Amino acid sequence: MHKRSSLTKALTIFVVSAFLLSALTSRALAQERPGLSPAAKKIATFEYEELKWKVPEVGEEVKRKVLRNGMILYLMESHELPTFEMRAIVRTGSIYEPVEQTGLASLTGTVMRTGGTRSMTPDELNRRLEYVGARLSSWVGSESGGASLSCLSKDTDEALQIFADVLMHPGFNEEQLELEKEKRKEAIRRRNDRPGSILNREFNHLLYADHPYGRIQEWEQIKDLTPEDLKRFHQRYFKPNNIILGVAGDFRTKQIIKKIEKAFLPDKIWQAGKGWKQAKVTFPSSPEVTKGYRPGVYLIEKEITQSNVRMGHLGVKLGNPDEYAIRVMNFILGGGSFTSRMTSKVRSDEGLAYSVRSSFDTESKDYGMFSASCQTKGGSTHRAIELMLQEIKRIREGLVAEEELQTAREAYINKYVFNFTDPISVLTQLMYIEYNDRPKDYLQTYLDNVRKVTREEVLRVARKYLEPGGLTLLVVGDLPKFDKPLDDFGGITVIPLEEPRID
Amino acid sequence: MRKVFEILIAFGILLVMTSALFAEEMRLNVVDHDLRNGMKILILERHTSPVVSFYLRFKVGSVDEHPGITGIAHLCEHMMFKGTKNVGTWDYGAEAPLLDTIDSLAHQWRREMECTKHPLYRGDTPRLEELRQEIAEVQQEEKDYVIKDELWETYMKNGGVQLNASTGNDGTQYYVSLPANTIELWAYLESDRIANPIFREFYSERDVVNEERRLRTDDQPWGKLWEEFYAAAFTAHPYSWPVIGWAADIQMILREDVERFFRTYYAPNNTIAVIVGDVNPERVIDLCERYFGPIPAQEPPPPVITEEPPQTGERRVTVQFDAEPIVAIGYHVPGGGDPDQPVLEVIASLLSRAKTSRFYKNIVEKKLATSVNAYAPFSRYPELFTVTATPLKPHSTQEVEEAIYVELEKLKTEPVSEWELEKFANQLEADFIRGMKSNMGMAWRLGNYQALVGDWRHLLVHKRELGAVTPQDILRVAKRYLNDDNRTVATLVKKESKKNTTRVKPESSRPYY
Repeated sequence: MHKRSSLTKALTIFVVSAFLLSALTSRALAQERPGLSPAAKKIATFEYEELKWKVPEVGEEVKRKVLRNGMILYLMESHELPTFEMRAIVRTGSIYEPVEQTGLASLTGTVMRTGGTRSMTPDELNRRLEYVGARLSSWVGSESGGASLSCLSKDTDEALQIFADVLMHPGFNEEQLELEKEKRKEAIRRRNDRPGSILNREFNHLLYADHPYGRIQEWEQIKDLTPEDLKRFHQRYFKPNNIILGVAGDFRTKQIIKKIEKAFLPDKIWQAGKGWKQAKVTFPSSPEVTKGYRPGVYLIEKEITQSNVRMGHLGVKLGNPDEYAIRVMNFILGGGSFTSRMTSKVRSDEGLAYSVRSSFDTESKDYGMFSASCQTKGGSTHRAIELMLQEIKRIREGLVAEEELQTAREAYINKYVFNFTDPISVLTQLMYIEYNDRPKDYLQTYLDNVRKVTREEVLRVARKYLEPGGLTLLVVGDLPKFDKPLDDFGGITVIPLEEPRID
Repeated sequence: MRKVFEILIAFGILLVMTSALFAEEMRLNVVDHDLRNGMKILILERHTSPVVSFYLRFKVGSVDEHPGITGIAHLCEHMMFKGTKNVGTWDYGAEAPLLDTIDSLAHQWRREMECTKHPLYRGDTPRLEELRQEIAEVQQEEKDYVIKDELWETYMKNGGVQLNASTGNDGTQYYVSLPANTIELWAYLESDRIANPIFREFYSERDVVNEERRLRTDDQPWGKLWEEFYAAAFTAHPYSWPVIGWAADIQMILREDVERFFRTYYAPNNTIAVIVGDVNPERVIDLCERYFGPIPAQEPPPPVITEEPPQTGERRVTVQFDAEPIVAIGYHVPGGGDPDQPVLEVIASLLSRAKTSRFYKNIVEKKLATSVNAYAPFSRYPELFTVTATPLKPHSTQEVEEAIYVELEKLKTEPVSEWELEKFANQLEADFIRGMKSNMGMAWRLGNYQALVGDWRHLLVHKRELGAVTPQDILRVAKRYLNDDNRTVATLVKKESKKNTTRVKPESSRPYY
């Protein structure tokens, strides 16, 4: 599919001539290189055989079928190893829980697995799975929920039956619920122990406040939750027609479809709204993220050797057509590891941080975030922030260099094959494409869309989606250590680090 | 008739067992090749996707250091990304004298620093700041010749993923996964950085390592505890100090020290390359011969001399930190290759793997702790069997310790159940098969066994040993090692942070916008 050798040759010729051109003209920009290294010259002579592979497609390597009970099933046979893997995606999420019950969705996701089922105690469930070396986990996140299973293919029948039971009839055993609540209570108690945890929690809260993306878990929200609360949450969303299921591994398609239909048979006896059967699922209205920037400088004081720094603002929603240009722009800014500007300057050049990066989320249904972060000793806090801000401004001021664009483009193109080396991962991508109503040829057109991103496009999205004046800046650190006053960046609001209200 | 039947059954069982064993050997069709300079090449084909994972392992780690230069192996690993005579510079001829100037200035700087280490030091060294400035100026000049991070960029442009390196106690490894048509690129870049590395941009990278220390250790409850735990458990052997090194040592390491360290340990005869994926072994060997072959072999590096003397009494350490209590417990145990090691691994699994484990059922489900984990190492030298735990308030670390010791004592007196051992065997099999899905995972595993035991085949031997552990083995091994005179315990206790004297007037408390 990808004529890598001719593409590389073309790009190499282009890049080499671009270098020569810039050498002949001026040496004004620090980005320009006066010459190629001996290695670059040698590597330019390498020949690459064409890599033969294609993006798996529904209808060819991947099968899709709607079952009688309404479940959508994706299948991919793989006979290399005697394994069986399954993944269910359910339309649910913490976006549907009221703020007073923050944590209900997540707890439901966890206790589905730990709380046994209608026909198995928690202990029996654990024993049956672990005895055969199978793994089963379940979760509910902010915008979806699900479960996954992995076992040897010889144990497919047993594991499939357990998996179905967990999805359809979880027991939400009271003792297991209490145990999970205790674990979370302890986690809340410990939430200020690590600077990174404080930084991420408080930063999300600054941008999202009481929207589910930024809510902070408090004990009072979960302490009174009962098995009934969890059952009710589960029964509302876990209906066969609200689930996309994927199976990959060592099976025969016709056979496994029969087994799955049998395992997920609708309940014969059920009350309206309850039980496992095709039924309409109603979704409560979920809050919207309040659009806009929330600029400000925030400080959380803690006696640590490093300052933990994060700066950012709201970005875009899932499906934004600028997503490819944004990805490339972010790669150059701070997402492309050592090839990126922030990492190159703050870590490689000045040695101020071990970890410094930027990210631009394009996958959240409501506004995702742009943010950049680093950790640096107290005495270089101001300098590191200054350098990061400079980079955010600079990428909006002028076109990125041609070689920067080439690096990003080639990286995306050449590593794309790695998205498709694992069947269950292939299915998961396709399932989320359906779940999020993305174009069916999303995976096939991905690279062409990346190729379309030009330097002008990068500049356009940098100007449109990065707003230095709108940044929320949060620092967790020890103020007396700082090299220069933090309020150079704006009036400081101190966020007191309170003891969690637990006992 | 019954006798014939029995014979047939026996034969059938034999056939199944043999073919199972045969199948295992067949599945790991590793091509094993030595270059003349002693470098080991291991190749495993897997053609499901057109990708390859590369794992380059050097048999050197923090265990090869000594006080004064702790952290040098890890710093060397960082420096290996800074380029060579061919990578990372467009004119090494012009760059080299600048690097020499920086070196001689740094040498003077260290001599000044050494004065400040003298216990009777009284004076003032303005010379230190002057030297720092001079070094910074020459570094600025050097930048004109540097092509920053070219190695990293080259790999990324060519589709490299999982690109990184890591240093441990026992070994240092460099790894990357690439599309299958870039094997020559890998061979060229890796052989070049073994043959001609240039440790440019050294001083900024040393600062990066300082930041890494702060990030992973100084500001982390588990990081800090673990460092003090090992320092107490090992009084003589190099496992005593952290891989990242003591802060005071890192500060004094110069570029020439790292070069010397590199020359001693990064010899081809001390190197293993593992290539797993969509490859043609003959072609890989040909490329390795061409690129790595010309690198001359060296004197084998010196061995580690110091052995840890037997511990003759419990050691207890307390670390005060602004975090909730945690505890780490360790017992001295043999390293990888010893016949007791697999037994310890089985013990660790039965104690803490997943929800049917003993720690989970008897400590976590009883709400004494949120998690308790046991771990048995496979190491170059005798190491620690460890148990770590996070208590659940109101239970103390002492209570959790007691509960852990109850479980360990049980192992010495009550044989474990058949069910538990069968579970272990089934999990072992499932994990092994699952593991074959990952090229990088397989490369790592093969490289690790080759480095530590001298034979990649030990992967299969080890698996057999693990599966053959009996209840009697567990009784014996638990009695032998899990005793209080062999034990080190490190506990983190909460340090009350000084009353919040805010230097900036708080404008609001939550909700704060």
